[in-house]
Amino acid sequence: MKSYNGAYLVADYPDRERFISAALKSLEFFDFLEIGIPFSDPVSDGTVIAKAAYDVIESGVKFNDIMKSIDEIKSKIPADRKLYVMTYANHIYHRGIQNFGKIMNDHGISGMIIPDIPFIESRRFTDIFEQQGLEFIYFITPESKPEQIKQIAQSAKGFIYSVSMRGITGSSMNLKADIKTAVADAKTQTKVPVVLGFGIRDVESCKNALETADGFIIGTRMIELLNEDADNSSFNKFVEELKAKF
Amino acid sequence: MAIADYPENMPDQKGFFGEYGGSFIPEQLQVIIDEITAAYIEMKQDESFWNELHYLYKHYVGRPSPVFHAKNLSSKYGGAQIYFKREDLNHTGAHKINHCLGEALLAKKMGKKKLIAETGAGQHGVALATAAALTGLECDIYMGEVDIKKESPNVLRMKVLGARVIPATHGRKTLKEAVDAAFEAYVKDPVNQLYAIGSVVGPHPFPMLVRDFQSVVGREARAQILEMTGKLPSSVVACVGGGSNAMGIFSAFIKDKDVELYGVEPAGRGTADGDHAATITYGKPGIIHGFKCYLLQEANGDPMEVYSIASGLDYPGVGPEHSFLKDNGRVNYQSINDKEAVKMFFELSRVEGLIPALESSHAAAYAVKLAEKKSKDDVILVNLSGRGDKDLDFVVENYGKEYGVDKLG
Repeated sequence: MKSYNGAYLVADYPDRERFISAALKSLEFFDFLEIGIPFSDPVSDGTVIAKAAYDVIESGVKFNDIMKSIDEIKSKIPADRKLYVMTYANHIYHRGIQNFGKIMNDHGISGMIIPDIPFIESRRFTDIFEQQGLEFIYFITPESKPEQIKQIAQSAKGFIYSVSMRGITGSSMNLKADIKTAVADAKTQTKVPVVLGFGIRDVESCKNALETADGFIIGTRMIELLNEDADNSSFNKFVEELKAKF
Repeated sequence: MAIADYPENMPDQKGFFGEYGGSFIPEQLQVIIDEITAAYIEMKQDESFWNELHYLYKHYVGRPSPVFHAKNLSSKYGGAQIYFKREDLNHTGAHKINHCLGEALLAKKMGKKKLIAETGAGQHGVALATAAALTGLECDIYMGEVDIKKESPNVLRMKVLGARVIPATHGRKTLKEAVDAAFEAYVKDPVNQLYAIGSVVGPHPFPMLVRDFQSVVGREARAQILEMTGKLPSSVVACVGGGSNAMGIFSAFIKDKDVELYGVEPAGRGTADGDHAATITYGKPGIIHGFKCYLLQEANGDPMEVYSIASGLDYPGVGPEHSFLKDNGRVNYQSINDKEAVKMFFELSRVEGLIPALESSHAAAYAVKLAEKKSKDDVILVNLSGRGDKDLDFVVENYGKEYGVDKLG
């Protein structure tokens, strides 16, 4: 089976042009793109992504600016490439869950990844999003209980985001046996790909991820590559490398 | 809601006070937080735990803290009688030690090796470093680089107590960044560390747990005021940042329907965005740092940068139980600005010989306003949550001249 992989980028980081260019480049390889809408208190993100988000907020970029960037990306990618928005609960709650979902629909977003909504709090969001045809992406972790994995596997749309370890974005890859068990458990019970994220940063860790999961998500490393130069050349080189290897 | 059932039935099993509170945290932390909840609920039933905590309250903290009838202040303003619950007399100088000891005992019981927390002005950090030293736990305190420079005496206290003070160097380098840094460190090793949250905020079970540990303040004060005056107070007043000292004293009076409860928020230097931290007065419901509460937020949904002269009140959110008590009307939330707080800082020092923390000055300032409207027979109980030693340098430097205090001569 072909792998199903995603990249994460912070919206309009380092600036609008380079973000759009990086998004388009990454979708030459990746099947989907997670677009982070910066939040000032990102409890699930490590220093690299938190700092990028902070810079975007400080530069005065507004929600509507990000939606315009998304429109431009959407207009230039093949229909089978999906866009997800990753942001924190308050951004959604602040605009109203229903209204936020409508905005996402209007801009061609497939679904939402909300790291501060654990499974036990997800109903109030999923009930509305599902009616709007949006995918709410669930997380599984090394500690997820079998009963919860079963519930998630059966109701998941889009893909299941498995967190490869305890920690936050930007931690080092450390595939413990228990996440392998959780991923295997989920795979047998779901129709959607089970994708591994957190700590994946090079070809080697991508390969490791694919031994267990249906795909991988690379986040922090993408931001670091954008920080390496002023013209996305390191970033583009990395995407080319992935295209060649997978 | 029946007041009669309150607060034993609050929060519910998922940590909600009405629509507020809950647990809005990454999935990978939920399991760990559930373990803390389970350990706390088990410990709560265990008599030996409470015996140990009360032994420390008595012999280490100096509890019960007295209630003092501020006769000079009361007669000067000519209204109700003002009484202070003297939390400023506790070891480490504020109410924070009450929950820090509880959190340290919980960490010990769970087999954790280290307590970690963020601190703004350093009060929670000092209390936690103290509790860690006493219980033999390691302690890492995360603090914004800007605050470290501003609060050097507290930084030194923490270091002398054996804690590591770790600077948060990103963003604005103050409290919010310290929370981020502490959180980042916490999720890297939630097995060996306990994040000892410094107020009635954060994901469930912290708003409940910190309230329970602070409720000793209310229980003592209620019995003391009954003994001293033969009746319940007509009003109870406390300052509210996150709201731990207020929940501590309010908790014992919530069922006493005739006792008015007042929470006092910081009105800062004005009503414009960013000039105050009066969350309940100006905010609207939102989600921050793992819980739902009233929240001061920007038009785009980011939590706002907030300000108060009192660093302990300088927070864009507020405890979920306060948010609930605001909506159901049981507590009346008011605000006091910087100037009024500083005026009371000097007034209480000079009229009663009590130098209050700037946070507590907010509560005292509102109490005086309230007293003027009441009769001489009314009793107003104020939580004097901390002493003002920590604020001396700052107040003298910025307001000394106005009040005839010169640092140099």
